[in-house]
Amino acid sequence: MASEDQALNRNGEAGPQEKVLSRRDLWAMAFRSFFLQSSFNYERMQAGGWLYSLMPALKKIYREPKELAAAMKRHLEFFNTHPFLVTPILGIVAAMEESREKPDTIRGIKVGMMGPLGGVGDAVAWLTLLPITAGIGAAIAMEGSFAGPIFFLLTFNAIHLVLRFGGVFYGYNAGVRAIHKLKTGTQAISRAASIVGLMVVGGMIASYVKLSTSAKVPIGKDAFDIQKELLDKIMPNLLPLAYTLLMYFLLKRGYSPLKLIVITVFLSVVGKYFGVL
Amino acid sequence: MLIEAILLALWAGIAGIDQFNVLTHLHRPIVTGLVVGLILGDVKTGLLAGATLEFVWMGMVPLAGAQPPNVVIGGVMGTAFAILLDQDPKVAVSIAVPFAVAVQGAITLLFTIYSPVMHKMDSYAENSRHRATDLLNLSGMAVLFVFNAIITFLPIYYGVETARSLVESLPSWLMDGLTVAGGIMPAIGFAMLLTVMLKKEYVAFLLAGFAIVTYSDISLLGLAILALAFALYDYYRGESPLKEGKKGGI
Repeated sequence: MASEDQALNRNGEAGPQEKVLSRRDLWAMAFRSFFLQSSFNYERMQAGGWLYSLMPALKKIYREPKELAAAMKRHLEFFNTHPFLVTPILGIVAAMEESREKPDTIRGIKVGMMGPLGGVGDAVAWLTLLPITAGIGAAIAMEGSFAGPIFFLLTFNAIHLVLRFGGVFYGYNAGVRAIHKLKTGTQAISRAASIVGLMVVGGMIASYVKLSTSAKVPIGKDAFDIQKELLDKIMPNLLPLAYTLLMYFLLKRGYSPLKLIVITVFLSVVGKYFGVL
Repeated sequence: MLIEAILLALWAGIAGIDQFNVLTHLHRPIVTGLVVGLILGDVKTGLLAGATLEFVWMGMVPLAGAQPPNVVIGGVMGTAFAILLDQDPKVAVSIAVPFAVAVQGAITLLFTIYSPVMHKMDSYAENSRHRATDLLNLSGMAVLFVFNAIITFLPIYYGVETARSLVESLPSWLMDGLTVAGGIMPAIGFAMLLTVMLKKEYVAFLLAGFAIVTYSDISLLGLAILALAFALYDYYRGESPLKEGKKGGI
């Protein structure tokens, strides 16, 4: 039983859910998601915009300033996903916050969704929707017609807005249903969410961190390509994994993220100067 | 030229906001071409240059957030130069690209410089000052507006050729180095996540996720489904009646 945590009493197995969020709040969240990347930075990427977008829900759910402060801090952790498909995640997380799920569970779901939805969003929006609508628009504009840009803006945004505003309701309803089913054993659910979240983080390290060396060691006439002939033979993505782990240990030792960013920029420029990156 | 330069700068500022916020995509060259054409009084060349630049930038999208050569500055400069220098729109591309690459590097710097804002947000959050965090989030748009407007105004007003030689004199290792840094940066974000999420018992799953993506062609969605399968297995195994005296979850 999940009885250890008294704060979770409202999760009582059969008790009726206290619903505080309205359709209006979900609309407000979808609207605010337009500004998901307003404070984009390399330390936590979309974290500031994520908090901004989730704020209408948090404000209603947590009336106590102390509770609200804790929730706000939790939602300022690193976040990055596709800027259109963020709304399903917003919906689900809002539903989970509303029923006061454990922070670890919410974090697991949030992290577990941001990678895959980022990938799906890239494929749907950047590699399908944009080339098709902009391609047709540009073909019309090539004939010297105003209609090209107008066609592009109308078709692109029709689908953009459906994805964005539809997503928040879809996510919220899916979240509410899932929570009803998963009322028991928050400990176990939190564990399951952590498993999904961490596997996805592992995958994201392999696919999103771009680091390889271009260093070559001359041997006679040929050049020995360190990346291709040594590192990739040991393990592809060895450098991204090593660098991420190095950052992890430095953070654990109390290095600030900003310091690590400055070090990274410095190493990159120096590495490029000497031709090893 | 002053009025035109100011109008172009305003448009670049708006487009610079749209590139990361709201995302109506009015910042794409196809729209920018028309607007720049209207400002400079040559709609036909504007449309043609915009369409040409649109095709060039078609594949250059921020996949996984990695910044491609800057499409806003590329579109505005490319079209403006095509009209002002009376060049073939195809030539506009080769003029636009060096600017776009330089601005790509500058954007990487901008996102780096903006990192300390998060610490300010942390301290507002600790006092549950949500209006302050709201405003701080939105403040980034002002920075983007000013940044794009200035970068557009200077070369248009002070002459295209001077601007081009200035951009070309920037050392390539600096610009390329900033691009490399942009590629590595997610490592810091993931490391920060690990400091809150990683426990000894979960290290296996982190490694598994990494290994599966490294040695196969699986997409992240595929990986998430696989992870869900592991999690479900683990969940129902842990739910055996011996361990916890409760009925099945669903």
